[in-house]
Amino acid sequence: MQGVAEIVLLPLFGAITIGMFKGIMPKKLPGVWASLLVGISFLISIAQVLKLSRLPVHHRFLTGTAFAWITGFGPAIHWRYYLDPLSGLWLLVITGVGMLIHIYSIGYMHDDAQKARYFSYLNFFVFSMLLLVLAGNLLVLLIGWALVGLASYLLIGFWYQRPSAVRAAKKAFVMNTVGDVGILLGLALLYIHYHTVSYPGLFQIFDHQSPTAFFEWTAFLLYLGAMAKSAQFPLHMWLADAMEGPTPVSALIHAATMVTAGVYLMARLYPLLRIAPDIAYLVAAIGAFTAIFAASIAIFQRDIKKVLAYSTLSQLGYMFLGVGVGAYTAGVFHFMTHAFFKALLFLAAGSVIHALAGEQDLNHMGGLWRKMPWTTWSFLAGTLAISGIPPFSGYFSKEAILGEAFNLGHPFLWAVGAITAGLTTFYMFRLFFLAFFGRPRNQKLYDHAHEAPWVMTVPVVILAVLATFGGFLKGWLNQWLAPVFALYAGASHAGLESGPLWTTGVTVGLAVIAFIVAYMLYIRKQTPVNAASEHGIGQWAYHAWYMDAVWTAVAVVPFKKIGNAVMQAETGILATVKGIGTVVWDWSQDLRPLQTGYVRRYALSMMVGVGAILVYYLIRV
Amino acid sequence: MVLVWLLAIPLVGSILALASGDRGAKFVAVGLSLVEIVAFIVLLAHGPVTLNAPWIPDWGVRFHLGADGLSMFLIGLTTVMTTMALFASSPAYPKSYFFWILFLEFGMVGVFESLDLMLFYVFWEVILIPIFFLLTGYTGSHGRATAMKWLIMNLVGSLFMLIGIIAVAVLHAQPFGTLTFEINQLTHVPMSAAVAPWIFASFFLAFAIKAPLWPFHGWMPDSYSEAPAPVTALLSGVMSKAGIYGFLRIMLPIFMPQMRHYQTGLLILAAIGLVYGAFMALRQKDMKMAAAYASLSHMGMMALGVFSLTEAGILGATFLMVAHGLIIGGLFVVLGFTEERTKTRDIAAMGGLNDDAPRLAVYFLFFALAALGLPGLPGFTGEYLIIQGLVAHDMVFAVIAGVVLVVAAWYMIRLFQGVMQSVRQGPKIFDLSAAQVGYIGTLALLVVLLGVWPAGITSHAAPTLYHAVHLLATKGGAAS
Repeated sequence: MQGVAEIVLLPLFGAITIGMFKGIMPKKLPGVWASLLVGISFLISIAQVLKLSRLPVHHRFLTGTAFAWITGFGPAIHWRYYLDPLSGLWLLVITGVGMLIHIYSIGYMHDDAQKARYFSYLNFFVFSMLLLVLAGNLLVLLIGWALVGLASYLLIGFWYQRPSAVRAAKKAFVMNTVGDVGILLGLALLYIHYHTVSYPGLFQIFDHQSPTAFFEWTAFLLYLGAMAKSAQFPLHMWLADAMEGPTPVSALIHAATMVTAGVYLMARLYPLLRIAPDIAYLVAAIGAFTAIFAASIAIFQRDIKKVLAYSTLSQLGYMFLGVGVGAYTAGVFHFMTHAFFKALLFLAAGSVIHALAGEQDLNHMGGLWRKMPWTTWSFLAGTLAISGIPPFSGYFSKEAILGEAFNLGHPFLWAVGAITAGLTTFYMFRLFFLAFFGRPRNQKLYDHAHEAPWVMTVPVVILAVLATFGGFLKGWLNQWLAPVFALYAGASHAGLESGPLWTTGVTVGLAVIAFIVAYMLYIRKQTPVNAASEHGIGQWAYHAWYMDAVWTAVAVVPFKKIGNAVMQAETGILATVKGIGTVVWDWSQDLRPLQTGYVRRYALSMMVGVGAILVYYLIRV
Repeated sequence: MVLVWLLAIPLVGSILALASGDRGAKFVAVGLSLVEIVAFIVLLAHGPVTLNAPWIPDWGVRFHLGADGLSMFLIGLTTVMTTMALFASSPAYPKSYFFWILFLEFGMVGVFESLDLMLFYVFWEVILIPIFFLLTGYTGSHGRATAMKWLIMNLVGSLFMLIGIIAVAVLHAQPFGTLTFEINQLTHVPMSAAVAPWIFASFFLAFAIKAPLWPFHGWMPDSYSEAPAPVTALLSGVMSKAGIYGFLRIMLPIFMPQMRHYQTGLLILAAIGLVYGAFMALRQKDMKMAAAYASLSHMGMMALGVFSLTEAGILGATFLMVAHGLIIGGLFVVLGFTEERTKTRDIAAMGGLNDDAPRLAVYFLFFALAALGLPGLPGFTGEYLIIQGLVAHDMVFAVIAGVVLVVAAWYMIRLFQGVMQSVRQGPKIFDLSAAQVGYIGTLALLVVLLGVWPAGITSHAAPTLYHAVHLLATKGGAAS
């Protein structure tokens, strides 16, 4: 296993030890222990990635089998891992950013009585996510896929006394199961035809195929999994509700890592997307739509975490846009920079929430820059990065996606992305100004606000540095991922390219205009937080375009109707049984003396008979 | 020889439990059930084994026992779940209770070991008796009605099966000259088109009632919810498998042409049960009823696997029988712990138990997740294989099974959250004792092991199933 198993199993070990011994552990130990194990996992990951980089370019992957999952009859599937530059990158981000968020959590969860349970779940999440990206076949991927969903469920519902958290957790779990089933059916279809679900095995076959309806269907089913996990429209609502979990969880699971699993899967399956061009286009189109749709909602939100949640949805849309049009490296690049700046934004927001005794409503913030300088300037770095202002990291990755979408003949998708870029700058600066500038809107909370302890600010500052300079990893990343996309057909435009200069001009120009508008509205005119969202279109957008109601009408109500029908049918069946029973009972009353004696004698004679035979053979044999 | 020991230990144990009085009965019963597990481990180490001796020579009935890849793990399931049930029991009349539980184990092992139809029938009837008395004597106010319903439905089923057994043997004797009831010799019974459907139906009815499959589950809701939780764990976890086992062991070899002929109808029946049980589970207010209908849905899933008549589907059903036995049995034991503490089964009256009983909540969640088919746990393995088989046969049924997996996630999470989460209103309850954690934890570990390494079962079950599917192929079945 060459060290790969350790990367995965260390966090699992942490989760189990904390879960089992949390009763006797000193209060501070779980956080330190959990962080330490993820840290070691991070170091081993670096070693593995270095090992990978020394392999020849045309054979740059490590793969192997641990043991059989099922064999003997029917399908034969093994526990298999596959480490290549693509999974290697995810590995580094999961363990690296994961470690920072673990450390931050030590401060954030300091006063929570249940923090041992929290760290146990968090380590379990890291384990599951690592299993997902290191899987060597679709089945192991699916197991990781479902386990990250479980970790997400547990952490969204961490504060299980809150009915809203319980509801949000349930919604996330059920919606993600839709995706799991998609992957399950997709892999079953592939197995039927090719008798393998391992990546190299499948991709070698795909290399010799041309597009057919079969591949479109299979790709669609697998995309359904990606759609649910990465909260693409219309399976997106769970992510906004997922903000019920502790804020570091939102940073790690619902921003930096888990929700990007769909991007990973689509990038991983590029040989399949080549022979399923319609689905590839669907991926891009839904991505672009999700981007602008979520941005339109983010503009009107009042809760700091809700703004960030919808911005995550929107940025995931960009990544899918990139992957869908074939700009694989660009999509993955945006995953990386997004992991930096969005984890940063969430953690900084967490520091704000921490400082304000749990308050998340922008109506109670304002002017915090005086109290929390480190947090404020870090948050600004994140805001600039997500807005795509050069030379912050988000600029490079977003431009790579949009430029290539334009180059590859999708001007419409490019336009949607460019407009979204403007909206992004607007809502992020709106958030930044409302939270950190202007007059304090809640004097009491403001007076008690304070900068976060170092255990929280240090991870935030490290992420701020990465969010600021991460874009300069562009050249390295392009080179690093090239071997992955050179292995099979279907990724001829995977490398980073830039679009015509004027397209960059347009997006940056829109961002600058949006910044000025935000400045005018929220610094100069001091517009109230709720002003736009109280009526008209703003109200619709504030309520996320009422997609919850749509889902209720489309899915929940029919399910309830089926339930009613089934309940009625059951009443009928039970009545029939009872009717027959009554008839038999009445009839048997006449034979009552016989009956009661009969059952006992029946039992006795049978026992004696069988017992005698047994004894006979025990003696004889 | 170990086959006989596996029968003798629980039988002798039941008598010893009866003889040791109310105080010592549990101790004796648990002890002998552990010895039975040891006997099973011996069997496992030994591998497939048979024992064939004459029993009633005049009628060609033989005392033919065997344990192979199909039955071996079901015997293991019986021994493990019986021990779990015994540990979890604290009945009102211990002496007779433990007697009946061990007697039930004896009957179940007999059902799974029999390779002669007559012997199979005898054991099939043997298990009626302990369950009848366990339902009558230990299930609250409706005990007698519940038990009668159970007995009448199952007696009807098995009496028809007896006629079917005799018919099969007689039909087989006509051209071949000798009367035999041995399953492995009855694979080429000449049946005319006029009688075949009736004989087929006589077996089908018995197995469908026992499992139960929709719409033959009329006895199930009352029995599962009214019986003491450990008894329900045995009914749903072990006894229900006898039905599916009957399909695999008896109907596949003997009725393959009929199975193929009625395949679509059988699949539709199983699919209705699958969907029906899931939606019923979603609507239940009583937590044991919710688990009972979940179990009905799972039985539909197993039946789908068998009726898909594909390698993957049949393997999936075989595997899911064992996995589901451990999982639903464990879930009912946990529900029993919960009921014992809250004195209610009404989900609305609970909530927030996690505060007082975090360990109970962990195991509740674990078995709920296993029951909803979380990938990585063995329920998923079985469901994956069945869906793999359905995809090969007909995508429509695969999609239906997939949708039901989503509903399953919904009803199980609803159950868990309803009982364990939100704010507690009732009085304080106690968490699991160390002993309870000990045995339920062991069961959970076993479930994890099966989930991570299903090959431990699938590779052993393979030779037996090869045989079944070989028949399928030679008779023109759709093996793929």
